[in-house]
Amino acid sequence: MAKTVLSAKAKSVVSAKDRGLAGCHTCGQVVDMRNHSHVECPRCGAEVHYRKPDSINRAWAFLIAAFVMYIPANTEPMMRTTSLGTESGDTILSGVLYFLHHGDWPLALVIFSASVMLPLLKIIAIAYILISVQRGATHRKIENTRLYILAEVLGRWSMLDIFVVGLMAALVQLGKLTTIQPGPACLAFAGVVILTMLAEMAFDPKLIWDQKENNND
Amino acid sequence: MESADSTAVIFVCHECDALQHVTTVLPGNDAICVRCGSRLFRNPKGGIDKPLALIMASMIIFIVANIYPIMTLTIMGVEQATTISGAAIIFMQQGSPELAAIVWLPSVLIPGLIISGLFYVLFSIRFQKNWPYAKTMLAWISRMLPWGMMDVFFLGVLVSLVKLVALADIVLGTGFYAFILLVLLYAMVIASLEPHTLWESLRHQTSLQGEVENG
Repeated sequence: MAKTVLSAKAKSVVSAKDRGLAGCHTCGQVVDMRNHSHVECPRCGAEVHYRKPDSINRAWAFLIAAFVMYIPANTEPMMRTTSLGTESGDTILSGVLYFLHHGDWPLALVIFSASVMLPLLKIIAIAYILISVQRGATHRKIENTRLYILAEVLGRWSMLDIFVVGLMAALVQLGKLTTIQPGPACLAFAGVVILTMLAEMAFDPKLIWDQKENNND
Repeated sequence: MESADSTAVIFVCHECDALQHVTTVLPGNDAICVRCGSRLFRNPKGGIDKPLALIMASMIIFIVANIYPIMTLTIMGVEQATTISGAAIIFMQQGSPELAAIVWLPSVLIPGLIISGLFYVLFSIRFQKNWPYAKTMLAWISRMLPWGMMDVFFLGVLVSLVKLVALADIVLGTGFYAFILLVLLYAMVIASLEPHTLWESLRHQTSLQGEVENG
């Protein structure tokens, strides 16, 4: 490991995999993979691979499942309000429109971005990166890496609406007067968030950098 | 301790697999990957004392934030208060334990496990206790980290506050203010930690005890 000498210039940067080294996915420890098919990290004990195993297939599976869930998450009611015996359901979009009509556009914007835009953009972003990797794209590596990190950082904020429904339901329990209950979209929506997170975790961004430019080296 | 014999440490970029040397990083500075620009390593100011102090404060505030109600709603004389766990409790009562789990795990259980686990690991390192399972715990903390969503939950509190304030009288409780403090403290804890440094300290500790031969 110490024999590997590198210059810190971006042009001559080498991937660890080309030198028979791998960074542990759990703790980051640099592990010598030569002459080994199966390596346990000496520092944290996790299994070390050059790339996350079966990364692309697993990411696609989670992503497609997330996309399927995205449909009921938006068409089914998220929240059911029962007022004096009459029940009404609110989808995410009808909730957004309600606030828009009442002039509360900042709130409408927050809910719309977190619940409608973010999950869809995250699905599109990961699908785009997966397709680029599968087609062997050699350009826009930095952009794709940034996009991946952005999807990773922002994706969790989509849980917002589920927490809001939960808090509303916990507070608005006034017997026959008014009660709030979660709708069927809640579970679908949580599914979208969890599955997109699993897709993003299954994908290995190092795959973006595995395609070599022809004019280099 | 990683710079005992040389000033440079070999790093593999977590995002792009670039192999590179990282020389001494001054406190408060980051090392950035030469190829993709992601952060490789940071050397937070305050060493290990700062996150340990913050985590101890977080533990106390975590209990306060979870015991006291975050807000109380009054419609036509009927009062209803809720704690952070309130959403999960009502989902349980309404017969959807799966939704209760989806709300409760990221807002209470996972952050609680991360905070208490980090306390265990940091305390063990700082006072050279060499407590068992510290490595296993740190590995699980890093896996759980993305699933802790107190910050998202807090935004949820604010959104439901705005939604409800038009319909009813809302009084903010002790839990609300404690929760603001908790979210801030938690963010400061995460910002003051560098996993590489923690792992190196743990390895150093166990190798001193002769438990691991490849130190």
